[in-house]
Amino acid sequence: MKLFKITYTVAAATLAFFLSTGPVTDALADNTESDTPKTDCFESREGYTKVQRVEGDNEFDWPNIKCSDKTGGVLWWGDPFDGTEPMGEMPIEADYSHEEAVVKPRIPHLTYFMPCTACHNGETVPVPTSTKPRQLYMHQDIVPNSLDLKHGKGAIWCLNCHSAKNRDKLIDHFGNEISFNQPQKLCGKCHGQIYRDWRDGIHGKRTGSWRPNGKRRWWTCTECHNPHDMEPPFKQLEPEWAPELPRGMTNADHEQHHYPEDSGHGAGHDSPASGAGHGETKAGAGD
Amino acid sequence: MSDDIKKDRAEEPELTDQSRRSLFKTMGLGAASLAGAAALVTGSDDKAEARTTFAEFFQKNYRLMSEQEKKESVKRLETRYEEDYGRKVKVGYEPAEEGVLFGYALNIQKCIGCRRCVKACVKENNQSRHTTEIEWIRVIKLEKGQFSEAALTQGGYPGGDYGIQVGGNAYRNAGLILEGQHYYEPEKVPEKDSFYLPMQCMQCEKPPCVKVCPVRTTYRDPDGVVVIDYNWCIGCRMCMGACPYWARRFNFAHPTLPAKELNTDMHYLGNRPRVKGVVEKCHFCLQRTRKGRYTSCIEVCPVGARKFGNLLDPESEVRRILDRKRVFRLKAEFNTYPKFFYFVD
Repeated sequence: MKLFKITYTVAAATLAFFLSTGPVTDALADNTESDTPKTDCFESREGYTKVQRVEGDNEFDWPNIKCSDKTGGVLWWGDPFDGTEPMGEMPIEADYSHEEAVVKPRIPHLTYFMPCTACHNGETVPVPTSTKPRQLYMHQDIVPNSLDLKHGKGAIWCLNCHSAKNRDKLIDHFGNEISFNQPQKLCGKCHGQIYRDWRDGIHGKRTGSWRPNGKRRWWTCTECHNPHDMEPPFKQLEPEWAPELPRGMTNADHEQHHYPEDSGHGAGHDSPASGAGHGETKAGAGD
Repeated sequence: MSDDIKKDRAEEPELTDQSRRSLFKTMGLGAASLAGAAALVTGSDDKAEARTTFAEFFQKNYRLMSEQEKKESVKRLETRYEEDYGRKVKVGYEPAEEGVLFGYALNIQKCIGCRRCVKACVKENNQSRHTTEIEWIRVIKLEKGQFSEAALTQGGYPGGDYGIQVGGNAYRNAGLILEGQHYYEPEKVPEKDSFYLPMQCMQCEKPPCVKVCPVRTTYRDPDGVVVIDYNWCIGCRMCMGACPYWARRFNFAHPTLPAKELNTDMHYLGNRPRVKGVVEKCHFCLQRTRKGRYTSCIEVCPVGARKFGNLLDPESEVRRILDRKRVFRLKAEFNTYPKFFYFVD
């Protein structure tokens, strides 16, 4: 019995050594992230689909989103279905009736929509008679040069996708009007392969549930792609901050080091100090 | 074997804190010295904290715990975290579901290296923040290949042309010449001459980390996720040495996690806050995926390069990718059988 007691005393003392300061002291430690988190954020593409951070009063005390303090991109969704609506009918040969698919309506996030027919009503702006490319002097913030549309390499023009008669709608090549909220119905007409992958969840993004019959938010084409400028298909964006350097390291220059250096090397001679072959090998081929 | 243990446990009288205390009392360990030991253990006079730490000290390996013990353990953790962070938390212990084997696929062609997955993971999984920053996902920037015609005839060994003996006349790598960068920081990504390779825990089917763990605190759960019981980890870091994917991270210092940054939805084997001296890694966001939700990195990827699903479901996204795309795994020659697939369109 005495031995037992000693064992426990020793064990407790050992534990005390390891736990001499608990995580309690660090719970309120300093942090680089600001006290007032960024509230004006974007979802996928910068400048599109803006979201405001709202502090939540729910089970987990979650805000609707958490964003990056550096880039303003949304990094985390409290409710992945916030502001979505049912996707509606799925076009072309697909049976997704077993799945609950929602999308975020695009119309509130368009650059102009007041609606479009406020001006394009046939009187203020006449209905164009031809769909052929011509120089435009309006909306140059969307398409800087209407004769050089960065989509389709000259094969298509504005009025192949925008309905000439009803500017609040898109139009496919059969003349069917399509809502701005359902761009996949239009894009899929040409980009069939990508559309197939998107339908099967391989291309594009989904949030929500991974379960086969779960509720999912499908991200539509124009949430990630700018249809007026597909070169490149996904615009460059600012990256998040780099990882912290390990303690004792002041920079990451070693990563920038090219092997071999400007001089050429044979196999096994990858160090500048390795002797043979370096005297006359200042090759002109720069990196 | 575990059944035997369960049976043994069932016959044992249930040990609550109170009964344990009285047990020690009868064993001759006075109440005063016990309280002293508990205070010593935690370095604080706080009673709840002391009680929690003391009880955790006698806690079993998670895999050997009965349902009741798991419940008690989770309750203790909730008490502890609520006291530490001053916020209401929920620690879950949902077990693996039947008929589910998690798999992951990443489109390396699409990745733009923006690191949003890395930061989203930190926000979700309660990693240590600044000054002892821990990130589970590592995005490696790789240079695109290049070939220099000029180097064909220049360089090489002195004294003439040795031809094939020195590997032909291409005296310069005709491929990648930068080893891969982890700390890259350009203004915009993707950069023209680069592509990106994110790496994280591959949730191997034959995980080397599990093989080496001397206390068996890390193991493969039935849904294929390699998990860690942080309470049982002794911090020997054998698993870190064994992992060919550098997926594991060690808490060298006390994690810094501000209360306002805490994700209050937790899982025992998942994102609950860790302590100094334990190893942690990606666990496919168990606190989310075991409730049916996508992982945090999947939801945040702005280009949709990341895909997640049930490998046992032929209609899942991951299975469709395996059927249809060109897939490879990293370091597959080690026979680790990763469930993290890379693919191109």
